[in-house]
Amino acid sequence: MTSPHADRTAAGPPPLAARRRRIDFLGFASRMAAACTGAATAGLLGFLAWKLVQGSWRGAASGPLSGGGGWDAIASAAAGTFWLLATTGALAAPVGIGTALYLQEYARPKARAASLLQAALTNLCGVPSVVFGVAALALLVHGLSMDRSILVGGLALAAAALPPVVSASAAAIGAVPDDLRTAAYGLGATRWQVVRRQVLPAAAPGIATGACAALARATGEAAPLVVVGAASFATFAPAGPAAPLVSLPTQVFSWAARPQAEFATHAAGAALALLAIVLGINLAGLLLRRRLGKALP
Amino acid sequence: MTARRGAAKAQGAGRLLERRARRPGAAADRLAGRILLACTLLSAGTAAAVLGVVAVGTGQFFAEVAPWRFFGGLEWAPFAESPLFGVLPLALATGQITAGAIVVAAPLGLLSAVYVQHYAGARARRIASAAVAALASVPTVVFGYVALNAVTPALRAVLPGIETFNGASATIVVGLMITPTVAFLGREALGAVPPAVVDAGLALGATRGQVVARVAAPAAARGLGAALLLGMARAAGETMIVTLAAGGHADLAWSPLEGVRTLTAFLAQAGMGDTSPGELDSQAVLAAAALLAAIACGVHAAGRALLARGPATVLRRERRPSPPQPAS
Repeated sequence: MTSPHADRTAAGPPPLAARRRRIDFLGFASRMAAACTGAATAGLLGFLAWKLVQGSWRGAASGPLSGGGGWDAIASAAAGTFWLLATTGALAAPVGIGTALYLQEYARPKARAASLLQAALTNLCGVPSVVFGVAALALLVHGLSMDRSILVGGLALAAAALPPVVSASAAAIGAVPDDLRTAAYGLGATRWQVVRRQVLPAAAPGIATGACAALARATGEAAPLVVVGAASFATFAPAGPAAPLVSLPTQVFSWAARPQAEFATHAAGAALALLAIVLGINLAGLLLRRRLGKALP
Repeated sequence: MTARRGAAKAQGAGRLLERRARRPGAAADRLAGRILLACTLLSAGTAAAVLGVVAVGTGQFFAEVAPWRFFGGLEWAPFAESPLFGVLPLALATGQITAGAIVVAAPLGLLSAVYVQHYAGARARRIASAAVAALASVPTVVFGYVALNAVTPALRAVLPGIETFNGASATIVVGLMITPTVAFLGREALGAVPPAVVDAGLALGATRGQVVARVAAPAAARGLGAALLLGMARAAGETMIVTLAAGGHADLAWSPLEGVRTLTAFLAQAGMGDTSPGELDSQAVLAAAALLAAIACGVHAAGRALLARGPATVLRRERRPSPPQPAS
């Protein structure tokens, strides 16, 4: 009976009921945190909607609005955002996906230039978007004396979106199992046939989600556009990329800073419109992922 | 002898290449290779242009202004008659907002991740994930609007002395903005812990909280740390919230109840005003941009390095039963 385990066996483990009764503080705290996050999301959306409804009701009661605001301006800014999205998407998505394909499939694995570029792009993912705006201002507006147009804004956003597109695409391509490539090469396929018929379909869901997420973020970005020099008021709808730079995010920015209540209403309207567009792009990414994933064996 | 063998080998390789070149699809292969190379060169050109223009401007700036006046000066007034280039107030404001934001986002984000990964049922998990995804899609300028129009009035109700533009409101909202990043990456880290380890803890009679605190969280520690660092990198680069809510002056302000001006807010304001290209003030803007990029990029790289090291070693060391040794 002198064994050190003796009294432990004698006392036994605490009864099950006692263990159940122990309070799980972490469970409580994590539930609270999740509830707070959910409440913050709901509160943010609710606040925007409330501002819009309250302001519109008051505006309808007091007659038409004056000043540089108005629903027309929101529509014009939305058109600007559409052209910006088109410019950014047309530049960043193909170039980014092409770069990822080249770096992963074509470049020699230990080529110094390729790994240098990969490292530079990975690090550019961490550079704040406002820095891309500063660079675009210095290079395109001051250096090449381009107008402060949608094209210049789109170039700044494309430069900011390019590194995330490359990095997400490269991750998706790198996750494609090597067996697929080996088997295809063994059957005599050329490199492009391997990429086109094996690698791209297998990596497509990941590429689509990554590209859509990067484009959605770029669409909501105001900082680079403010730095490049967006117009404070969208007086008429832009007809193409050469038009003066107007967009929803910069419109929210210039309205949000004004003290008058009607601007706050319009800012809320523009913010909700912008949020709908950004959520739509993200949703499109998810749907594309599901659809492209279904095509796989 | 060796020369002849080498020649034969080269001839063989040449024939092989020739046969490859005549293969169906070879022309398409070459064309695709060139197009993809062109994309890569375009990306490289973009990266070089962005980094180059910032680096050149910073170089020109430091040719005029001594580094100690930039890093050591206590006043930042690049557009004044006799300009002052002490970046310390801006850098400290960025640090203050970033540190405050992570204090808000660490409990919210990490605990939300714990909830979703370890406590929530299937339905609650779907709802919580959707809320996090929705919060992640909100553009930062919308956060800025809410900070100025909802959070600041709410703070003012509690603390009547608070200024219209203040650091506290910006800090809270930046923290909220990076919460989805922290929650998402934190959940990925917790999800990478092998379920067998968690189940073993539960089977031994520990509560879920004990298993999370003593088994899952230590095993996922690197991933959780990376989530915080990557969130901080985003907070340091956040521009619209601080420009709208924290506003104005570049004095050294220690109280979060006063306005502060971060590096990013200065860059946004400088862009809106007219800097003269090629002059010292626009070079100062590029130097501030370079400092901001270095800070955010450094924190981001630290987070990525932590992620690259993979899960904690405790879990990687798998001991498989060794096969019985034959008696010698």
